[in-house]
Amino acid sequence: MSQVLQEAGTRLLNALGRHSDIIMAAYINGSVSERDYSAKTLEQLAQLGVLWRPDPQSDLRLKSAVRSLLEGSLQDERNRTINANIGAALAGLKTLAAHYKESLHFGRYTEASSYMGELTEHVYQLSESLSNSVRVVFSRINNEFGYVASVDAKIRENELAQGQVTELLAQLECFRFDELSDIAGSNRELRHLLVVALQQRFSKAAQELSVAQARLLDLMGRFREFQGKTRLLKGFLLHMEQHPDFTPGNYAGLSQVPSLFNQAQGMLKPASADVNRVEHEADYQQIVASLTHVHRRKQQDDDAHKAAQDIDVSEQSRVALDKDPLQKAVDDFFCDVIDSGQPMSALSYYAGKDLTFDQEVWLYQVIGGYQSLDDTNKAFFALDTHGEPDKVFDGNFYINDITVGLR
Amino acid sequence: MMTEQGRVLAKLLGGEFICQITDEDGWRFLKSHDNAQQLEPHLNMLNRTLSATAEGEVFFASYQTITDDERKGLSQQFQDTTSALVPLVEWLVLVQQASESDVPVTMGSAIRLSELQGIIEDTPAYAEQLEKLSRYRLFGSTSVNLDGQMKQVFKRLTDMGYLIKPNPEKQIYLATGKIEHLYEMIRFIDETESLSLSEQADAAISQGSLL
Repeated sequence: MSQVLQEAGTRLLNALGRHSDIIMAAYINGSVSERDYSAKTLEQLAQLGVLWRPDPQSDLRLKSAVRSLLEGSLQDERNRTINANIGAALAGLKTLAAHYKESLHFGRYTEASSYMGELTEHVYQLSESLSNSVRVVFSRINNEFGYVASVDAKIRENELAQGQVTELLAQLECFRFDELSDIAGSNRELRHLLVVALQQRFSKAAQELSVAQARLLDLMGRFREFQGKTRLLKGFLLHMEQHPDFTPGNYAGLSQVPSLFNQAQGMLKPASADVNRVEHEADYQQIVASLTHVHRRKQQDDDAHKAAQDIDVSEQSRVALDKDPLQKAVDDFFCDVIDSGQPMSALSYYAGKDLTFDQEVWLYQVIGGYQSLDDTNKAFFALDTHGEPDKVFDGNFYINDITVGLR
Repeated sequence: MMTEQGRVLAKLLGGEFICQITDEDGWRFLKSHDNAQQLEPHLNMLNRTLSATAEGEVFFASYQTITDDERKGLSQQFQDTTSALVPLVEWLVLVQQASESDVPVTMGSAIRLSELQGIIEDTPAYAEQLEKLSRYRLFGSTSVNLDGQMKQVFKRLTDMGYLIKPNPEKQIYLATGKIEHLYEMIRFIDETESLSLSEQADAAISQGSLL
């Protein structure tokens, strides 16, 4: 019997390995496109129970056992099914435990050990399926249902997951540890399996599921908020489309301005520098230094400066080189000296001609006029100064009048 | 050196919104009731008071008493806000539609400029929407290419405080609490004017209107 079983199992696994491309294609696409593979292979796979045809017109699909094997091993997040049938599994356990105790009672030890093996398998299967279910829920929570795009779809997914968690929790209530403990009785092995192992798994699962439930509710709240915001935005745009001239009332004009619209204007302005603060001197210096730097750079960077400019080539207005009246008067004075040929006092000329300049300015201008003559012209004139030295400080000489004559 | 209290006070008086995204330290400071209480007299002296929006997650300074002067300023501000609503909402919807997750932009949402730009470039309808909204006076783009429009829109939004760019080297923007304030304002207008915006949106979706 076991020989036959082993052979059949090997054959199945070999077939799975050999036709892994077909199986994976079926897993991903949902069905096998029969044109791409030979009919014989497909037929063989169908006979082995890997593929099946739900009804005569439809395509070949993967058997759910193979699909769940793949989903479980690949930790595929699309896996949404949760095996919540714990009640049935528990009933099976109880039956097996009864078989085991009966055979022990009658001393049929080989039979008993085979029942024990089966029972162990079932217990571990149950605890594995429990932890698997929890893992499936969590993997979906952790990426926030990222496998569906829209928020509405996420909400639906969340609702499904919440339903499943509730269902699982309800199923967990089927565990009656007092009952299981009665069944196990004083048998050490049974007690270990039915009470210790299952209880550990149970409490862990219950704990994780309650966390999952809280997270799901939390996520649901966020999704609903997203949905609300999306609706608000779209509704607003729609409204503005239908009523383009819509303007809300001026809430700022209400006697009680809603706090949302009561937003004080910014009032802080940069402080000014106090140049009398000695401790800031170094900082100010640095600031000023960097300022001129910036200023210079700015000028260089200024494109307007570099840009070509039109050059005005029209005739410039004439520059009038009219002499200063004072200078003219001095020239006249010198000419007068030349004409008369007599030495003449600058102040008496000043008085005689009724000049209006300041006397001191006049004297300075005469000295200046003399000094500014070139050497040959200067040689014709002699300039004599009248005055007295300072009474207190020597080396200072006060000029009262100047006499200009010909040499 | 300014204390944390002084720093937060200066920000509030400067008319800034303080949220977890823009200034986490300041936000944490204001979250403490005692700190907020200490700040209040300083604000009151200048006819201001601490206000919060978006369920207490975003802080700003509001006027304590409103006289004609303040009313004038607020009316002007309100006018600016309402005229900015349509461009902002259009932008929000565009970003939401173009992002793969279909999640609305909320406080803390990260927007990767290059990613968004790639999607908008590949989808002519989005590109058209972007072009339309970048022409609004709020954004004031005159650019003819998509890249320029995108940059201008994001620059303006950053200037207005709706987005911040945490790392100047990277083109990743974070939405600030001011976005939440925007939602609150729309919600308020919705309720006050009895527009029932959500119902309108629902009705349009059920009628299969293309939104």
